[in-house]
Amino acid sequence: MLQLILARLIQLPLILLVVFGVTFTLVWLLPGNPLDRPDGRRPPPEVEQAMKARYNLDSPTNFLIGYARGAVVGDFGPSLEYRGRTVRSILAEGLPISASLGVAALAVALFLGTVAGVVGALRPGSPLDSASLGLTLLGISLPNFVTGTVLLVVFAGLLRWFPVGGWASPRDMVLPAVTLGLAPAAYIARLIRLGLADIMASDYLRTARAKGLSHTKALFKHALKVAYLPVLSFLGPAAASVMTGSFVVEKVFNIPGVGEYFVNSVLNKDQFLILGIVLVYATMLIVFNLVVDVAYAWLDPRIEL
Amino acid sequence: MKRTLCLSSVFALSALVLGCGFESEPEPAAGGEVRFISGSAIKTLDPQVTSWLVDFRIIEGLFEPLLRVNPETLELEPSAAAALPKVSDDGLIYTFTIREDARWSNGDPLLASDFAYGWMRALLPDLAADYAALFFTIEGAEDFYSWRTQRLADFQNLGISADEFWAQTRQRFADTVGIEPIDDRTLRVTLAQPTAYFNELVAFAPFSPVHEATADAYLEAEATAGGLNMDPVYFQRPDLLVSNGPYLLKQWRFKQQLVLDQNPYWWNRAEMGNTRVVMQVVTDPTAALLRYNRGEADWYPGLPTGSRDAAKLVQSDRPDVHYGPAAGTYFYVFNCRPTVDGQANPFADPRVRRAFSMAVDRQTLVDNVTQLGQPVAKTFVPPAAIPGYDAPVDAGVSFDPEAARQLLADAGYPSGQGLSGLTLLINEGGGHEDPAQFIRKAWETHLGVSVQIESVERITFSDRLKTGGFQVARAGWFGDYRDPTTFHDKFRSNNNNNDGLYQNPAYDRLLERAEAELDPAARMALLAEAEALMLAEQPLMPLYHYTNLELFDPGRVTGLHPNPWNIRRLDAITVRPAPGSSLGNAPNSE
Repeated sequence: MLQLILARLIQLPLILLVVFGVTFTLVWLLPGNPLDRPDGRRPPPEVEQAMKARYNLDSPTNFLIGYARGAVVGDFGPSLEYRGRTVRSILAEGLPISASLGVAALAVALFLGTVAGVVGALRPGSPLDSASLGLTLLGISLPNFVTGTVLLVVFAGLLRWFPVGGWASPRDMVLPAVTLGLAPAAYIARLIRLGLADIMASDYLRTARAKGLSHTKALFKHALKVAYLPVLSFLGPAAASVMTGSFVVEKVFNIPGVGEYFVNSVLNKDQFLILGIVLVYATMLIVFNLVVDVAYAWLDPRIEL
Repeated sequence: MKRTLCLSSVFALSALVLGCGFESEPEPAAGGEVRFISGSAIKTLDPQVTSWLVDFRIIEGLFEPLLRVNPETLELEPSAAAALPKVSDDGLIYTFTIREDARWSNGDPLLASDFAYGWMRALLPDLAADYAALFFTIEGAEDFYSWRTQRLADFQNLGISADEFWAQTRQRFADTVGIEPIDDRTLRVTLAQPTAYFNELVAFAPFSPVHEATADAYLEAEATAGGLNMDPVYFQRPDLLVSNGPYLLKQWRFKQQLVLDQNPYWWNRAEMGNTRVVMQVVTDPTAALLRYNRGEADWYPGLPTGSRDAAKLVQSDRPDVHYGPAAGTYFYVFNCRPTVDGQANPFADPRVRRAFSMAVDRQTLVDNVTQLGQPVAKTFVPPAAIPGYDAPVDAGVSFDPEAARQLLADAGYPSGQGLSGLTLLINEGGGHEDPAQFIRKAWETHLGVSVQIESVERITFSDRLKTGGFQVARAGWFGDYRDPTTFHDKFRSNNNNNDGLYQNPAYDRLLERAEAELDPAARMALLAEAEALMLAEQPLMPLYHYTNLELFDPGRVTGLHPNPWNIRRLDAITVRPAPGSSLGNAPNSE
């Protein structure tokens, strides 16, 4: 196991280098000048040239050299959009917020998903099963901005149970976490529901039932653990994606996380920020997949690493 | 199941622990506060670097230039200066005297050299100031800028250290640029040529002073490249930033909230209508409106007029809706180059441009498409936006399909024959789609010309405009300072914002004559003549003048005077407590 973890950690910088290379190339191929103002106002050519030189945007080699020089000491360059802020400080401020919201969303997803999945599996074909199926369908099909806006209007606007977005207290976390957690909850519910149905029909559980174990006990004590395996492999990438924020949810609930940068930094051609956010996401994806692999071994002793 | 519950609660707990983004609110302010919503986050508080309206709104509270525009009378008045400047007879030398009681927020006296320092920052190419070119009106400024740009590019071959280069730069600035602190309280500015609107520029936020004694420590010369790096913390941290305006920076939670508190040393603090300003960032207009309607904000300026709610608000009779003209114009620009992408360009002919412009019924556009009833535009400079300037409305075109068809026939395209494969370039987002569809239809109906709409990403769009890769494109322009030339310059032959490359030597000559004209009325007349000349050839098709939409209850909030230039003074705003609230203007939620 230790060997695997070590090997993966050694691979990490290599993978990151490849990701960096691809992103860097794509960014340079993007048309446009990031220093242009959105209202189309352009400074005189000499000013534009000076600004480009300031940010090493005049040539890819200059950019690479400058970037590498900074990256070694943990400086990932300035943001071209938020002038006077560094990519590092932007990510350092936003990432903990997105990550905590993501973890809360995962909690919601796991809880709702498991409950819905188990309820469905307990009485296959019953109205409860259909209800859980319907709910999960809804969770998967409804886009975030619809669920988010509906929750916001109902629970913050009409009922006034929650604040209208922002990030000032734990109460601000509830609605966005539910919004963000619904889709993964639906996936988890389906995975568990299908997994449980398979496992309950398997030979070893039939044997266990024949020896007098109740249906409920067999399900909770033996089947559920195994049914969690596919959920686990889903959780790795899901965690990386919800913890790096969601553009839509953060916009609807006015959360100062990093989700918006996945979209806006590309639209603004904020080259340093694009590279920074992609590298962070790639790192998290790799690390979480590793965590999932380790957890697999812990849940299912048959799997050897 | 137990494990799930356990895992879920572990996740939930760690979410709370991780939730370290939560910060405590500052203690309540004693002298009343103003809470307003900003539709976008502050990008930087460096007065010389930024060019964003939302940044300026806060910067104007923190920094006070020598002059300012009174939002109520819209007259220029002295602010950090004791009086309006003395101007030499040739209009070249401006002498400003700083008021005796002007102080920085740390108690230091405000010095003329702080202005020289701030203005020099705008002229350092390595600080990449958006508005550097506004300072080029000052003698020696443009040369200084180019000098440093060239030497920066060639730094490796200079054979001097970065610090030596910086010392050399400061010396050169003192020697060659017409910005001289004569003594502690006198600043003499020499212009390159008479600039009638120089006082307007001086009242603009990039002309703010910067406290040299504290800021200079954060400016570092990079050893290898020779350029300067301003450590961003100075303009970010309340404990570092020293300001000379009505406020000091109290708290800045990036993309969330920014709090300004009264500057205990500001000379006019006794007159302030409040002692605290709280800016809340809410980017989604629907959420922002919800928050305003719940009474959690007193003022919502800059409500995006493209949002769904805007038209409803404008048409409602709510007393807190303030809707009025802005100093900007929405228009379509024609490419005037003889060829586009190697093809002959029909829009090089002014008759074709006039015909296309005359085929559009602007009134229907603002009534039914935008539904905001914006003032229909016939001129490029919004009429009445600039004191003393009489925009040549009669020189603009009116909706006249008959005459348009005739013009098109005269140009060799009867019933639109021979005009094919035309495209209209717009950018995605921002609500440009609907007006474009309306105009495309108008051209088809009235001229028999079918035009395709090409919608591209914003950044591709600006690239296409810059390189001239379009036939007709949507455009917009806001004035920077209150002088018609902020609009006129865009259509000068050699201007880098002249996207359609309209070139008319007569127009350029009139602008040059206006530059040399010292009599204000005669100068404005020349500028009006120039605009009329330009409008006759329609290098642009003015559609409507932009508008400002903001919300505040006039019964509770006073001191705000909506005007086309968004000129306001945060310190003049007073908020009376909401009815039924015992705690001043605490949020009236349950």
